[in-house]
Amino acid sequence: MAKPGDALLVSVVRRDHRPWLLLLNAAVATTGGLLLPAALADAVDMALSGEFVLFTVLFLLLLAASEIIGDAIGIVLAASITSRATAWLRHTLSRKLLGLGHPSPFAAGDAVSRMTGDCGNAGGIAVTLITLLVTAVSSAGAIVALALLDWRLAVVFAVSVPLATFLVRTHLQLTADDVLAYQDVSGDVSARLLDAVAGRRTIAAAGIADEETGRVLRPLPRLAAAGAGMWRTQARMMWRAGLLLPAVEIAVLVTAGFGVMAGRLTPGDVLAALGYAALGMGIVGQIPQLTALERTRASASRIAEVLDTPAPGRPPASPGAGVLELRDVSVGTALRDVNLTIPAGTFTAVVGSSGAGKSTLAAVLGGLSSVDSGQVLRDGEVGYAFERPALLGTTIGRSIGYGTTADDARVREAAVAAQVHDVLVRLPRGYDTPLSDAPLSGGEAQRVGLARALVREPEVLVLDDATASLDTVTEAEVDRALTTALPGRTRVVVTHRAATAARADLVVWLENGRVRGTGTHRELWDDRDYRAVFTGGE
Amino acid sequence: MRFYFSTLAGHRRGVLVLLGWSALEGVPAFFGGRLVGTAVDRGFAAGDPLAGVLWLLAFAALAVAGALGQRQVFARLGDVVEPLRDALVTRVVRGVLSDPAHRRTPDASAVAMITRHVEVIRDATAGVLVQARALLVTTLAALIGLATTAAVLFWLVVLPIIGALVLFGLMLPSLARRQRDVVMADEGTAEASGAVFTSLRDVAACDAADEAHRDITAQVDRQARAAVTVAWANSLRATVIAIGGFAPIVLLVAFAPPLVASGRLTTGAALAAVVYLTNSVNPALHGLARTTSTVVMRLMVALKRLEEAAPPASGDTGDETPAHGEIELRNVTFGWSPGAEPVLRDLSLTLRPGDHLAVVGPSGIGKSTMASLLTGLVAPDSGSVLFGGVPVDRVAPAVRHREIALIPQETYLFTGTVRENLALLAPHASDSHLIDSAEKVGAKQLLDRLGGLDASLGHAGEGLSAGEAQLLALARVYATSASVVVLDEATSHLDPAAEARVERAFAQRQGVLVVIAHRLSSALRANRVLVLDGGAPLLGSHELLIRTSALYGRLMLAWDPTHHEKTPLPKR
Repeated sequence: MAKPGDALLVSVVRRDHRPWLLLLNAAVATTGGLLLPAALADAVDMALSGEFVLFTVLFLLLLAASEIIGDAIGIVLAASITSRATAWLRHTLSRKLLGLGHPSPFAAGDAVSRMTGDCGNAGGIAVTLITLLVTAVSSAGAIVALALLDWRLAVVFAVSVPLATFLVRTHLQLTADDVLAYQDVSGDVSARLLDAVAGRRTIAAAGIADEETGRVLRPLPRLAAAGAGMWRTQARMMWRAGLLLPAVEIAVLVTAGFGVMAGRLTPGDVLAALGYAALGMGIVGQIPQLTALERTRASASRIAEVLDTPAPGRPPASPGAGVLELRDVSVGTALRDVNLTIPAGTFTAVVGSSGAGKSTLAAVLGGLSSVDSGQVLRDGEVGYAFERPALLGTTIGRSIGYGTTADDARVREAAVAAQVHDVLVRLPRGYDTPLSDAPLSGGEAQRVGLARALVREPEVLVLDDATASLDTVTEAEVDRALTTALPGRTRVVVTHRAATAARADLVVWLENGRVRGTGTHRELWDDRDYRAVFTGGE
Repeated sequence: MRFYFSTLAGHRRGVLVLLGWSALEGVPAFFGGRLVGTAVDRGFAAGDPLAGVLWLLAFAALAVAGALGQRQVFARLGDVVEPLRDALVTRVVRGVLSDPAHRRTPDASAVAMITRHVEVIRDATAGVLVQARALLVTTLAALIGLATTAAVLFWLVVLPIIGALVLFGLMLPSLARRQRDVVMADEGTAEASGAVFTSLRDVAACDAADEAHRDITAQVDRQARAAVTVAWANSLRATVIAIGGFAPIVLLVAFAPPLVASGRLTTGAALAAVVYLTNSVNPALHGLARTTSTVVMRLMVALKRLEEAAPPASGDTGDETPAHGEIELRNVTFGWSPGAEPVLRDLSLTLRPGDHLAVVGPSGIGKSTMASLLTGLVAPDSGSVLFGGVPVDRVAPAVRHREIALIPQETYLFTGTVRENLALLAPHASDSHLIDSAEKVGAKQLLDRLGGLDASLGHAGEGLSAGEAQLLALARVYATSASVVVLDEATSHLDPAAEARVERAFAQRQGVLVVIAHRLSSALRANRVLVLDGGAPLLGSHELLIRTSALYGRLMLAWDPTHHEKTPLPKR
């Protein structure tokens, strides 16, 4: 049955010529491999005859060499095909995920697992297919070779193959329960460790690392039990598999023995029969590859699902002075029929209790996310700063200039304006400190995020609770610095603080996704419900 | 690495049992070639089919014994591998939790990576035990078998194998390096895409899709290159091993004719020799090469990465007893690195029981550092922190942990009952004491809503708001007998009224209370205020500071610029 990812897999295979090379190489190596047992049989018979025949030995050497060289080339070719295909898929997928923008229909962890896991699986498609094909051909070839030696050998061998297939299948069902239990418990331990890691300062200060280690590890016995179960299942499976090969070998050997007695076969042919039996069994070992193929197709479908998701349209910004206007804008249940005009150069505060739709409004205003209905009109570039900015880029300095061509001087200026320069120069390597080595508190990260918005010198600045973790002094200083650094810009500030709302030219008060009121802080303050937004009703 | 081997050595018995069963598993390899040879020699070729079949049945019986051995090997594998995994996990968790100097909190992905590494070690150890052991047993059994059947050919056959193994050994270090590069590149890809995909909002806000894509594809391409590089190394490795495995066979048939002609080698012996080589030695050699170059390398890389992720735990030291309840900072200077500007400079301060100190100042200026210094989590670069006249790091750990309590901004809640969570620092506290503590900090309502002390909490206080989680953390410390309590922005998610209640409750406990302030109103409740602004620290009462410090005055003014009578300054 066709899956959505199949078309993607076809294009993955087709976009590179190397799979054909691998196939050609495999054809040569397989032919060599199929002729090898016969050549070995001839060579042994030659040895047993007591007479050295150069041609026989050279032929054996030639075949062996073709197989060995073929294998060596095959390893490199296969890796090259797989890694190119994987890289291409990752390029395409990451481009698409970035194009889908914010909010993404795919959760971050899910997106990463598609990038790392699924692309890796799907990238192996050409090699998996060729391996399956080659094994099937060489198994079939081995049976033909057995038949050519003595048809009885082929019959005896063919009987054993279905049995092998059956045995390998049962293993997969047996382990599922233990595997599931193992994964569950393992996940529990990880979650406990994550809890403890989050509370590490508490643990360190109280000196209870040992006790807490014990707490994290409490599910360990269950993990060991599930693990032991997995090994026992594997043992049963190995027992069956361990019996299978000798059984087939002995059946073939007995048949070959009678062949020798009847004069149909030479002693060397016995070895050839043994060699072909092993080669023919190769297909049994490939059963897991069929599962791998299914997994590859499932992975490709998960990638195709992303690639087939239409990207939402976002209204482009027209150059201008920084006027924002919303006409009958709705976004899911977060915002409903919002009409709003924010004049250029004003300072607007957006307030409301949590869940009122403040962040959605902020995202829509600057074109960060798309709307379900209505119109968003804006002119001028928009710079965003958030309550919890995710800092990106290689160094802390780069995280400020992220997405721009800003040089060091401009980055520094922005950091000074955002009141975070003093913090950054104290880092081990200053602005060049890698992000991962820069321990920043919530408030520091917020100010770096602010600097990131400032460096773009936008006409409109949207601050989504971007100073929530700053103490009041720092917030006031940041506020003053913003006015100095970017004078006369339109500013939209989502806030929980009455002091901030009081400074705004205009307050937009949201409730349940609708605009409950607009005006100055002083005008709105007389409303009891408005005051409750700041005091929490106390 | 050393830890790994010593743990394995600790399970010597299990390993020995494994090897015992392996010996059984090797039996078919030892007798296989000889029996096949004999079956042809004395049976089929001699015109005695019954003898031939019987010899082969004997071979079958041995194969059954071998399979039985293999079954036991796998069944016993759990006895070695599972305890090894337990020991590793224990060490890693202890290492992560006991390292207060760790400044980078491992996040969810780091924890996931730790889990993955542990699993790799478990699987790879099992793989090595199965493969390496099979290789050893099979090769030895087959070579001994060969030596007893075709002794004249022995060295001819063995030398190429040894040569191949030596070459392979020489190649190992570069193989290991390349394998490690692949693992690092894998992690790089996961990290780069993880960073971007968890931050799509910020990428969109910065209009930085191109830069983000560049950052990701740089890692993706690096990984692709690493994979091809390691494939070249693997291909070379496969060639060496294949030649080493095949050369003996060619040499054998090339040198056998004169021996057979002179009667020094029988048909059966020659057959046996080839069967040993093709059916036992060759597969074992290939197995070794595969195992070593993939499994062993993955094992080594995972061990090394794990060691980096969780350095071995270092124990607390110190055995002195504080003489009194005072805590003193004497000329303390502290910076995060020698080159960086210090966050605290030459700070001196004494706190006596009953003192209530508020630390205020811009964020990022080092207020949390104060908390870490006072609790002995970090040591000052110069100067000293004394508790009861004794340097805080020399106080007996048990005493220090009992007497000095820290409540950080990030709360620690774990899965378990509310009682377990509240009694974390006071394991012997009675239920009524715990409930009373909750009441004192204003968490009684929350406790009732949760369903009392027996209610259970999910991971990371799932279902609780950040403020509720902080209330539980505060009640937990209130329940202890600590004489020095440091609240490091521990009330940041509480509303002002709840914060005031908490601070008053702790102030009434008669010990030393240090509040690293999130809001300036905390300063109004304290009898002493420390202002940190990057310059020389200011210390005094609120009244004194407001008269003498312009900075402090600005701070207080900025706090409420609305001048609205409905949002008054809290009364003292």
